[in-house]
Amino acid sequence: MKASFARALLRLATACIGERNRDWAMAMEAELDTAIAEGAPVQFAIGCLLAAGRGLFAAEEGHFVLTSYAVAIGVLLPMAALQIGCALFGLPYLYPGRHGLGGAMIDGGLQESLLRGVYQAAIPSLALLQLLIGLGHVRIAWVVLERDWAAALRWGSLSLAASATLVTFLSVLFIDGRQALLQGAVLAIELTIIASVARWHAHFFPGPVPASAR
Amino acid sequence: MRRLLEALSETRGEWRHGYDLMKATGLLSGTLYPLLMRMTEQGLVEAEWREPAQPGRPARHAYRLTAAGAALARDLAGSAPGQPFTGALA
Repeated sequence: MKASFARALLRLATACIGERNRDWAMAMEAELDTAIAEGAPVQFAIGCLLAAGRGLFAAEEGHFVLTSYAVAIGVLLPMAALQIGCALFGLPYLYPGRHGLGGAMIDGGLQESLLRGVYQAAIPSLALLQLLIGLGHVRIAWVVLERDWAAALRWGSLSLAASATLVTFLSVLFIDGRQALLQGAVLAIELTIIASVARWHAHFFPGPVPASAR
Repeated sequence: MRRLLEALSETRGEWRHGYDLMKATGLLSGTLYPLLMRMTEQGLVEAEWREPAQPGRPARHAYRLTAAGAALARDLAGSAPGQPFTGALA
């Protein structure tokens, strides 16, 4: 139990240490077996974690790691939660009328009485598109933390295309695409931030971008 | 750093493992590894992956003083115990 806990702590320390010092993270991991044999694995692992944490704040690469986590956890995942919440649970924030997608479709207006059937038929497709954009955000957050910029670019492009489709259809159906346009703008800002983070990462590792796009 | 230099200079030329150095110096891992990393960057210590003594165990990182590290350790041994060496290590 103590050994498993210590291994978990050391995995966390390894994640914090960064790529430039990966060799040192492996050195700590290799030494954990000896710490287990000596009966003090947790103390050893906590020390390594503290050292890794101090390194995060001290070095520019650590600032990069903290920033990438802040982008993923502070920006991408909340947007994903908002998109998925709107698609699955009818949260009101992204559509005209503030009553969710279903409510927006019957939100008064002259066109509503004429196009009610079209609106109702469009709801599942638009909700699915919204859900896919939300899931795309989750995937982008994941690949950003893995520093897989090729995959981030691909998933970002897909999400942007889905968002553009959503903006177009909502604008046509509601004659009011402001909320959807706002979503697209937020996504564009997110992708710009990710591009900046990728360029910062290239500053540390100027080699070719890994081709392991998922 | 003084303790680490002393421990490494006691067995100059021999490779020492991290946990062994922790026990020899009394330093915790959270202090030892940053010191080793910094001293390696400064060319005072060299690090190398060594094959394990027992089969089936993972390779371990081992450390020993470089010529510059040994010279600093000698200077340190010849100085007063309380005298700081941070200037030489900057």
